[in-house]
Amino acid sequence: MRNILIEARGLKRYYRRGSETVKALDGVDLAIHAGEMVSILGPSGSGKTTLINLLSCLDAPTEGTLRVAGRSVAGLREEELVEVRRGMLGFVFQQFALLPTLTVTENVELPLTFLERRADPVRTTHILETVGLQDRAGHLPRELSGGQMQRVAIARALIADPKILVADEPTGNLDTKAGEAIIELFQRLAHEQRLAILLTTHNAAFGYRADRAITLSDGRIVTEEPGQAGNLPHVHPFLRPVR
Amino acid sequence: MNHDSDPYVFRRYVVLAGKNLRRRPVRTGLTVAGVGLAVTVAVSLGGFMLGYSGAIEKSIDMLGFQVMIMAKGCPYEAATMMLKGGTGLLYLPADTYDRVKNDPSIESITPIFIGMAQKQGSSIRDDGGGNNFSIISGIDKDSYRVMKPWIGFKKGAGYDNGRWFGSAARDEVVLGFEAAEYEQRKVGDSFYASITPAGKPDPVMHEFTVVGVLDRTGTQDDGTVFMPIEVAREYFGRPDQLTILGIKLKQFNAVQMQEFETRWLKLPEVQVVGLQQVKSTLVSLVATAQTMIAAVAAVAVIVALIGVVNTILMSVYERTAEIGIMKALGARRESIFQLVWLETVMICLAGGVAGSLAAVVGSGLVERAIKTVAALGVSGSVVRITPALIMYAILGAVILGFFGGLYPAWRASSMRPVEAIGKGA
Repeated sequence: MRNILIEARGLKRYYRRGSETVKALDGVDLAIHAGEMVSILGPSGSGKTTLINLLSCLDAPTEGTLRVAGRSVAGLREEELVEVRRGMLGFVFQQFALLPTLTVTENVELPLTFLERRADPVRTTHILETVGLQDRAGHLPRELSGGQMQRVAIARALIADPKILVADEPTGNLDTKAGEAIIELFQRLAHEQRLAILLTTHNAAFGYRADRAITLSDGRIVTEEPGQAGNLPHVHPFLRPVR
Repeated sequence: MNHDSDPYVFRRYVVLAGKNLRRRPVRTGLTVAGVGLAVTVAVSLGGFMLGYSGAIEKSIDMLGFQVMIMAKGCPYEAATMMLKGGTGLLYLPADTYDRVKNDPSIESITPIFIGMAQKQGSSIRDDGGGNNFSIISGIDKDSYRVMKPWIGFKKGAGYDNGRWFGSAARDEVVLGFEAAEYEQRKVGDSFYASITPAGKPDPVMHEFTVVGVLDRTGTQDDGTVFMPIEVAREYFGRPDQLTILGIKLKQFNAVQMQEFETRWLKLPEVQVVGLQQVKSTLVSLVATAQTMIAAVAAVAVIVALIGVVNTILMSVYERTAEIGIMKALGARRESIFQLVWLETVMICLAGGVAGSLAAVVGSGLVERAIKTVAALGVSGSVVRITPALIMYAILGAVILGFFGGLYPAWRASSMRPVEAIGKGA
């Protein structure tokens, strides 16, 4: 039986905007397994980011049940949600969010500071090799391209050895070639490290490179289709085998 | 594991906070400079408070006597005049000395005649009228030396063979250390002074030979020109007058002082002033002024603190999304609180250290500035910056940082990650 890492039932997230109730998410059922890459597609305002925020314990649902790594998280306060996130979830954001005065290595090791864990230079080097940035370890973010910065953000997400990698529009600020490389990296991480990868994207071509592509509209899942993750067309030259 | 107990993790936070501050070097630098300036003001004023009280005590102690007998008037004005010189001197009948000197409680006594001589046209230096008087002190060298045994003559080229004037020498003077420097005189040089005798309209120019230059004493003696008391009285046209009698008692305590005062207050036109009393009063007057000064320093510190809080708040608002992402990456509320708090404390610590250093380096300038704008009535250094003062200043800056950082740190740590990240998108 496949290991379910995230399981949502009847997930709803409503907001109050003045006297109006906005149904950002209106009853979503979803399960994500270890080693599975799932993309969430949909137009702006369809509820992609709301769904990913709930599934990654950044926000709490208005209704519904949500289990992450076997733990029920619906109704938890922020102080409790952060404990679920710590070490379990890695995050990649569209805007990279690297600290400009930290080197690549320091940015990658940043989560360990918050997790009160000591950095292991061997592991940091390995992660940088995984994302193809071993020769940029001492560089500052301003010395990197957009694609390289996003790979630093991925390395940062991986450093704490999470089980789930959440990426909100990870290719949104990248050109097609760099975006392609990031998607290929995700595919490899999912299949070779058994990471559950959950990503949102506007780009359907990237979205369908996942194992499953879920399309949202008006806060509901409208389609759920298998992707083409098995058909890796090529391996980008900067990618090295994951040990 | 709690990171508070792990120096490695704490060091990581310190490094991270330091690097965050480096992101806006100009803003951080200006904020540190603001704190530094406030600390410089506080340390300088603190040093002045410390140094001035000490200087008053030292100056009074270095007068060498415990009791003065002088003409009636404000005793504190008279005491201040003794300390810093001045015009408007009042005089005693010279026979007061003969009447008092045999009092059984006196250990030593010295008569002093003080007058002001004009230096116009006679000085190598010309201050344009700003400092054209010399304090002439007519003394009985033997009793004066008993009262001030620490007085010695300056040595070195041009100063060797310094000596006291002859007891009745009409053309010999001894210069205090600063008087000699100011006039650029050495032993053997001439010294000119225009003295207006009492009751005469015009000054009379006198030429003297400098027979000795005194070592620095840190008192008003440094700026004084000494000559035999009889000669000074004659030149000032007051052959039967004195300015003060300096007295050292065999036993100096409140009872002795009271008895001595009672005995000699019977003389007309005379007052007996205990220098301990003068000292206490002057120090308490200074303390009142110092309270005002402390209030000014406190305002400077509060303004600097507001600047720090403003800077850190701006930094927090700018980094809203980043703070949200740190929380997503596993930072707890207290982690963010500690990070922002550390940034505030580090700014204040840097400002405290920089400000203290600036105060130490600039203490000479501060002293000159204070002496320029205020007649302090004491000689020697009036700004005394001690290691303890610096330690308190830095500690105070850090404590202010602790309090100043509370609100920005609370704001940052209270952000919900999903909202914070959304604001940066």
